[in-house]
Amino acid sequence: MSATEPAAAPQHGPTHPSPVGRWASWRRRTSTLVFLSARNVVRELRRSLLTSSAMAIGLALLVISRTIADGAHEDWIDSGVRLGAGHVAVQAPGYLTSGALADRLGPAQLSEAERALAAPDVAPRIEAAVERLSASGLAASAASSFPVQIDGVIPTRERQFSQLPEQVVDGRYLEDDDRLSAFIGVGLARRLELRPGSRFVLTSQNSESEIAGQLVRVAGTFRTGIPEVDDGLVQIPIETARTWLTAPGSATTIAVLLQSSRDVDGVVRALRARLDSVSGVRVLSWREASPELEAAVKIDDAGDYIFHGILFVIVGLAVLNAVLMSVLNRKREFGVLRALGLRRVETGAVVFGEGVLLTLASGAAGMILGFAITWIFWRNGLDLSGLMGGEMTMSGTLVDPVIVPAFRLSAMTQSLGFILVIGILASLYPAQQAMRIDVAEAMKFER
Amino acid sequence: MSGSEYAVRTVDLWKIYEQEPAPVQAIRGVTLEVEKGDFVALAGPSGSGKSTLLNLLGGLTRPTRGEVWVAGKNIAELSERALSRLRLEKIGFVFQAYNLLPVLTARENAEFTLLLRGVPAEDRRRRIEALFRDIGIDGLEDRRPAKLSGGQQQRVAVARAVVGEPSIVLADEPTANLDSVTSAALLEVMERLNHQHGTTFIFATHDPRVMERSHRLIRLVDGAVDADIRQNVHGEAATT
Repeated sequence: MSATEPAAAPQHGPTHPSPVGRWASWRRRTSTLVFLSARNVVRELRRSLLTSSAMAIGLALLVISRTIADGAHEDWIDSGVRLGAGHVAVQAPGYLTSGALADRLGPAQLSEAERALAAPDVAPRIEAAVERLSASGLAASAASSFPVQIDGVIPTRERQFSQLPEQVVDGRYLEDDDRLSAFIGVGLARRLELRPGSRFVLTSQNSESEIAGQLVRVAGTFRTGIPEVDDGLVQIPIETARTWLTAPGSATTIAVLLQSSRDVDGVVRALRARLDSVSGVRVLSWREASPELEAAVKIDDAGDYIFHGILFVIVGLAVLNAVLMSVLNRKREFGVLRALGLRRVETGAVVFGEGVLLTLASGAAGMILGFAITWIFWRNGLDLSGLMGGEMTMSGTLVDPVIVPAFRLSAMTQSLGFILVIGILASLYPAQQAMRIDVAEAMKFER
Repeated sequence: MSGSEYAVRTVDLWKIYEQEPAPVQAIRGVTLEVEKGDFVALAGPSGSGKSTLLNLLGGLTRPTRGEVWVAGKNIAELSERALSRLRLEKIGFVFQAYNLLPVLTARENAEFTLLLRGVPAEDRRRRIEALFRDIGIDGLEDRRPAKLSGGQQQRVAVARAVVGEPSIVLADEPTANLDSVTSAALLEVMERLNHQHGTTFIFATHDPRVMERSHRLIRLVDGAVDADIRQNVHGEAATT
């Protein structure tokens, strides 16, 4: 027997509506369901507020922890690249692994690299670029000798690039017209019993593989707080290094400091596009040039991800608990909705809507709370010196105990997105439970 | 055979609940027709199958076998979607415990099905005002259910059931939670709606007053029709 026989047309709406009619019907019913969801959220105000608070605080913590982590990483990267080879390094292909003078950039390559750095899509993003001629060697005084890294530098350009010139403990930093001056760490000065004006000898292998010595005089001493730098770094004028090491017009690295670490990938791409065809030149990002710093950031990120994962679980459970309890307490109400003509999926949609509305409200509150607290830290910095006890280094860089949070729009959007997804996912199960309610069973109380 | 000349028609209707130790036959081969505009009471002891039959007529539960015709459609064969649509447009429900949606005002409760059906706001307002005046709850439109008495809540529930001009209104013990005065007033309201608008009412009830005022009394025993009595307005048997 057929399920349908001729009958009077319904009073409202055609039996087989057109696509436009179906769309209007869908919109009408959806707005009614959203309205009902919103009323239900407000109905249990205390429960909704508690759930929202859990989510909002979770998101705020996420925002705070991410901005602080990003701020700390920015600081590590900044101090790491300033002391090392910059955000972007231009070197000879083998230099990263050999560290040998043989793998150096000659005058032709330096000229090509300088031209690439002056390109209109690169130059505006550069804060400073310096040439360095580096070699491993031995520093020896009448008192002692100690292995060191010797960097030949251009003093005026180094002042724009490195924090070292500002960390003078005694004496002064190098000047452009210096010839036989050296700027050394306080650790090395102590070991070799040197002070400004003292003379000592640097010994290294020159470009012709011969051992060569250079007498220099201490211009000043610095202190970074990083033992391996304070004990083992010597800066001398680059022209002195070039002459001593028989590498005229050469450099082992062009270290490039960018305005923002976010520009690294773009600048690397632009430089590679120009220098890939130049023989004997390789462009490296700080991640490639300082893999230990990259690893430190990644390890720290991994710790953050675990913390974020725990937060997500807590937030998800809070929403799940609140919405599910609400569903279980309202079985009869859902039975009534079904009896009034709501479809199963629409009954679920009411519950899902409640979860989504809670999540959206909490998301907005969490972002505001997170930004407000982060703004306070951003203004004053988060001073962790009490916790650190003293100076702390990581992967050859000094960790600043005062962290200034860094806002990254992508990170904030991602955090908000994660919370929204978690809240929405956590609403699916209660919605499914509401859909499965048997109407006759839900109304059983009436019999 | 078409069911369209009747408000409701069932043919050899069975509802069997599979449970241990033995299946329960809640409805056993019920065949009946309810004419449009009738005012019918389903009576019988507890467990006789009144509520189950009402649920079957309203499409709230599916029959084990047999046919249920409402507004020209055998609802036993309708899809979930079509059944929901039929409930929305053709069937009104009144429950013992009123079951108004607590988050909505009296007006919003009463017009909920109209909202889902896309009735324009002005039309909704006009209908609700007229209906609330008609059943004596005008002035209570903006109150939430918690701020209404039991009788007022049940009137709002009746308004919700009839506002969409359904083919049938199914009322499960509508007076069970009300005192005698309120029950009598509510019955008057439903009688008036039946008389003025030709709305078909089917009650499941234990209440002798409802049975007395019904036009037809169907007595169920153990899930089967034991007696089917046509009555006059004083509750006296006219035909059997």
